Amino acid sequence: MSRGNLIISAILWFVVALFVIYPLSFLVIESFKIAGTDYYGIQNYIDFFKDPYYLKTFVNTLFLAVLVLITTTLLGLPLAYILARYRLRGKVLFTALILLPIVLPAYAGAFALIVFFGKMGTMNLLLMDWGLISKPINFVFGLHGLVFIQSLHLLPFIVLSLSAGFTNIDPSLEEAAEVEGAGGFKRFLTVTLPLTSPNYLAGAVIVFLWPFTDWLTPLIFGQVDFLPSISYINIAYHFTDMHRKYMGIVSVVVSSVICVGIFLASKTWVERKKYTALSKGTTLEGRIIDPGLLTRVSSYAYMFFIAVLVLLIPIVLGLSAFSRRWVLQPFPSYWTLDNFRLIFLETPALLKNSFLFSGVALLFGVAFGLPAAYLITRTKVPGKDTLDFVITLMLAFPGIAVGVSYLLAFWEGIPLATHWIIMPLSLFIRRLPYFLRMAHASYLQLDVSLEEASEVSGASKFRTFFNISLPLLLKGVFVGLVMFFIMAFQEISTAIFLYRGGWETLPIGIYLNWHRGMEFGIAGAMAFLMIVIIFILLLIVARIGGGILGAAWGSSGGRY
Amino acid sequence: MAFIKIENLLKKFGNMVAVNHIYLEVQKGEMLTLLGPSGCGKTTTLRCIAGLEKPDDGDILIDGQPMFSQGFVPPSQREIGMVFQNYAVWPHLRVFDNVAYGLKIQKFPRHVIKEKVMEALESVGLTGLGRRYPGQLSGGQQQRVALARALVRNPKVLLLDEPLSNLDAKLRERMRFEIKSLVRRMNMTSVYVTHDQAEAMVISDRIAVMEAGNIVQVGVPEEIYKKPANRFVADFIGTTNFIPGEIVEVPKGKELVYIQTEFGQKMLCRVFDSAAAFPNQKVYVSIRPEDVEVFAKPPDGRDNLFKGIIQHRAYLGNFLNFFVNVDSTMIRVQVAYDVRQEEGEELFLFLDPEKCIALT
Ligand SMILES: Nc1ncnc2c1ncn2[C@@H]1O[C@H](COP(=O)(O)OP(=O)(O)O)[C@@H](O)[C@H]1O
Ligand SMILES: [Mg+2]
Repeated sequence: MSRGNLIISAILWFVVALFVIYPLSFLVIESFKIAGTDYYGIQNYIDFFKDPYYLKTFVNTLFLAVLVLITTTLLGLPLAYILARYRLRGKVLFTALILLPIVLPAYAGAFALIVFFGKMGTMNLLLMDWGLISKPINFVFGLHGLVFIQSLHLLPFIVLSLSAGFTNIDPSLEEAAEVEGAGGFKRFLTVTLPLTSPNYLAGAVIVFLWPFTDWLTPLIFGQVDFLPSISYINIAYHFTDMHRKYMGIVSVVVSSVICVGIFLASKTWVERKKYTALSKGTTLEGRIIDPGLLTRVSSYAYMFFIAVLVLLIPIVLGLSAFSRRWVLQPFPSYWTLDNFRLIFLETPALLKNSFLFSGVALLFGVAFGLPAAYLITRTKVPGKDTLDFVITLMLAFPGIAVGVSYLLAFWEGIPLATHWIIMPLSLFIRRLPYFLRMAHASYLQLDVSLEEASEVSGASKFRTFFNISLPLLLKGVFVGLVMFFIMAFQEISTAIFLYRGGWETLPIGIYLNWHRGMEFGIAGAMAFLMIVIIFILLLIVARIGGGILGAAWGSSGGRY
Repeated sequence: MAFIKIENLLKKFGNMVAVNHIYLEVQKGEMLTLLGPSGCGKTTTLRCIAGLEKPDDGDILIDGQPMFSQGFVPPSQREIGMVFQNYAVWPHLRVFDNVAYGLKIQKFPRHVIKEKVMEALESVGLTGLGRRYPGQLSGGQQQRVALARALVRNPKVLLLDEPLSNLDAKLRERMRFEIKSLVRRMNMTSVYVTHDQAEAMVISDRIAVMEAGNIVQVGVPEEIYKKPANRFVADFIGTTNFIPGEIVEVPKGKELVYIQTEFGQKMLCRVFDSAAAFPNQKVYVSIRPEDVEVFAKPPDGRDNLFKGIIQHRAYLGNFLNFFVNVDSTMIRVQVAYDVRQEEGEELFLFLDPEKCIALT
């Protein structure tokens, strides 16, 4: 075992121990503390599960998760099939549109939806103007709105995983079903769908866990009785009420345990299934067919429907961003740049903080992610699989758990929470797996012999990394960087616990403006600004990812 | 003293033994080929020589210096050149920079690097393509880049892992000779890995045949072909007929033994390892199709003369193959293309005892 690798491993483990294991164990230990004493016991948990209220929030959250999963599945299944199997013009554009919600913050969508579908929103006003209804319809407030907006936000995960599944099935398996007499829908049900189930599950887990993480969207829709929301309210607003504080902490731990449990169970299941069902080599093209006229028309109609829903978000936010006093009117009538003046001139710190924190988090991410990816894919250092496991687990932890545990662990003892570095640090830890996964995936695609050829040529491992691996990993790494930045940029559930006066980020600003009941325009403008920034970043990814550098790596042997 | 010396080399992946305690020597300036079917451990052996795999046991010496066992010399310090099966030409570097890579590491002055790279590119026939990116080259050209890169530093040892397997048949034929003459000219000690026996025959000074992690025979190509050490080698190299039988008599002081064949008749054949030849030993008699002579009428005074019927006649352009049924044993015979006999006709086969080999 080379010493360099062991040193890298030791450093990475140190970081993980200090910034992941330590605060999270702190959180768990704290949850066992008996309020007002120095003793520990399971009293808090007994209280939690005995209290009908908390039990209700628990059941509510589970119910919401099920509803969201069902909705995304029903909406996503046809979409994924269309995208994976039909040859349609403009599919790439539609795909890009439909996947947009992945990078849009969920709360931005919630605002847009309320403005458009709220009691006095555009839709109701229009319907009343036209005399179709006399009283406003409650389109969104309540559980159904919550389900709808969360489903819209999470739809891409289901669509992506399902269409990957549909694309990767060995065509001969479906052909065999056809030969055996199972045509059309029967074949789909008996062969295609079961074979896709591991892919589906991978996406479904992300969807199912989301309601255990997202505390803000329920609040925006006037719903409190969900685990993350109640945790947030208890901890953020009732810090002095010991009982409520501990109930908040317990519900964070309970959510975390559920999330990690479900995540691990599905991971195990997927890995087992994949082995047996999807071990065959696959064709890249899968089976793409030219659909008949009817199928074609309905496919377009369906894609269009989803695209309109998705596009509603930036359009509505854009309208409100450039206007003021948009109340009781279907569309704004007073246009102004005032909102942006406020953002840029009066509170420029928000933007500055967002870029600074995400940027520093990104540096941390690279400094950690690249060596970690190297260690995990290219070495046999003992404990590397455990490291990988712990990091991957961060995918499952609710942001609120990271936020609360940092608040608890880095207040006394290691008083990091008094310095702004806690903000990027927590962002970095919260998004730990994102960059690593991307670097990891690029590493797996990088043929080892390219590195070996360099070693044989007399280059040290270190030199090989910088001369050969890094340039070849650059594309994947870069895409990983931007995605990491985007995710950090819109992060709120961790940051909200840790910010202090002067550390507000754009998402926190959005939340505060909405929460203080200020005019919606400012929050809308901020959200719109975020979407624009994210969109520009995405364009850069698309350009770099598929453009200039593409030729060097493309197998087609393109030109520069 | 051999230039590359491998002693008792063992490499396992988990419980799977990929290379099983092998011994091998390569002389200076010699091209030795590791030949064997896919999965027999050729690549693993080569990678152990390169230092890309760490053996579980054994010793590896290059030019008298220990590479493994007493310490472990990393690949970058072994002064080797290697051509990978998939070329491993770096896609982000121009052809020139690919070839210059190792020289830059050795910190040669710039004009020396340029000179050496140009020379290397010329020797592989890529003059003028130095500014291209690998993506703009054909498979064959990429292969040449890999070769130039491996040779440019004038390494102590050149290792080639199935370097031609990704090329089309015509190009493959040509490259065999090009590589061979290039390596000869540079008097390079090299180890060449292939599963293609024809390629091995053409290119090697000596061949080491591998089977399931073991080296079963080492020798010059002619020896491997004419005196295969066992049934596996005889079968793997070229085509041959196997006639099952049993030794019945071992005349003293002779290399020829009598064998009772399964189809009933006795025959005479050679054994190379007379110590292993004793009565009742089950053997397979191997004789190559081109070593069988055919006669329309039985000639006088010959042993090993069998009567058969032509079951199948295959025209192969420059010669003919007969599949002859001798009492239900099928014997493949290669004859000149103008031999007239047709399917169903009777003929006599003469299996020259000197060319019949009894193998276990
Ligand atoms: N990295 C590895 N891990 C596990 N098994 C391996 C690895 N490399 C090779 N093997 C196994 O070792 C055996 C020999 O492989 P290899 O040397 O590549 O064969 P060859 O080059 O002769 O085709 C094969 O059975 C192969 O599956
Ligand atoms: Mg091989």
